[in-house]
Amino acid sequence: MNQLSRRELLRLSGLSLASGLVLAACGKQTGVVDDGAIARLGESPSTTALAEAKVTDEVLLRTAASLEYNAIDTYTAALGLGVFTGDLAAATDVAKRFREDHQEHADAVNSLIRAVGGKEHRCANVRINDLYLSPALALITDDKNENVGVDVIALAHALENLAAQTYQGVVELISDPKLRADAIRIGQQESRHAALLAQVLNPGIASMGPTNNPTTGKPNIAAIPAAYGSQANIQLTIGAPKADGSRTTLLLETPSLNSLVYDSVSC
Amino acid sequence: MLSEDDISLLAAAQALELAARDIYASAVSRKSKSEEEQGLLELMHSHHTAYEQTLNGVLSKRAATERNAEAYTKFFALLSDASKLWATLLELENTAIATHTAIIERLTSAKHAALLASITTVEARHAAMLASLTSTNLDLALENTAQSLVTQ
Repeated sequence: MNQLSRRELLRLSGLSLASGLVLAACGKQTGVVDDGAIARLGESPSTTALAEAKVTDEVLLRTAASLEYNAIDTYTAALGLGVFTGDLAAATDVAKRFREDHQEHADAVNSLIRAVGGKEHRCANVRINDLYLSPALALITDDKNENVGVDVIALAHALENLAAQTYQGVVELISDPKLRADAIRIGQQESRHAALLAQVLNPGIASMGPTNNPTTGKPNIAAIPAAYGSQANIQLTIGAPKADGSRTTLLLETPSLNSLVYDSVSC
Repeated sequence: MLSEDDISLLAAAQALELAARDIYASAVSRKSKSEEEQGLLELMHSHHTAYEQTLNGVLSKRAATERNAEAYTKFFALLSDASKLWATLLELENTAIATHTAIIERLTSAKHAALLASITTVEARHAAMLASLTSTNLDLALENTAQSLVTQ
């Protein structure tokens, strides 16, 4: 049986007393008037709780709508650059058509949002813009980049894949079967966009299916890269070559919990 | 566990994929196209084979044992006109997309709806490429006017 010596007992008592004083100094106690006599280090500010964020059908649809505006803005920026000339001249009409499709998708998705009693969302996803699109456009429009036209199409291709993956991904998360079908109908058209743009970047029947670059071994851009719709991140290689000859690769991912357009988010 | 209704719907999707697999097998066996075109046909055939096998695995003992006769008969007849090979396969892909989407609308299982969704996004790519082999008309590549083989 352990027995405390007188010395140990005194030491423990001292510790308990000191702890009590520290706690008393740190917090207010019920019924005790704070007269400022006890010094304290700083004052913690009052906090405002974040709005409760639930991932509902409405939030998923609002996120999809936001991506449509990312696409609309990107095609508008691409057309504004005036780089679809020469071999890429036909891309102007394609970009205009795809932008119209995205406007129709945005309207359709907002109509679905209203139908479920939600608040429509009519602007681009800020986080997707900040993480991917703004950096990509900065790399593409860099003065040293000599492939602006092709890189713009590569960005559009990546964005179409991102949109297709997003619609495919939300099918499993949406609770209403009818909304799942409505979502994937749009996703199917995004996939068609992506396939057609892949053919602009890597043309020919032999390039429709998966192929690899014989030098690097990396997969080439393909209209039909796999048997099932991917949910993996999307590689976008763009911009002027760096000192070692390589170009910047951005990895795009579908919206996650921190980039969903919750009810509290507005334009 | 899948409900009886979901089993019936997924079996309908599988039966259509069996028909698509056999239509593509017929197109491949004709060897009437260039080497590159033949490669594309074989790729699409392999995809439909994979879809049928995946659905077969999902359904296990309840899997479909026969292809969709209506679809097979219709598209096999259309294949007799060799000049319309790409157009026929385009219609087949669009029909599969419309049918699977109608099934997604009725499935209660979100997980299996997601499986069909992932199939339809690739079939949409097939369709866009087949359309590009017949015309430069963007509408043909982007729009799907085919009717579903199951009622919505």
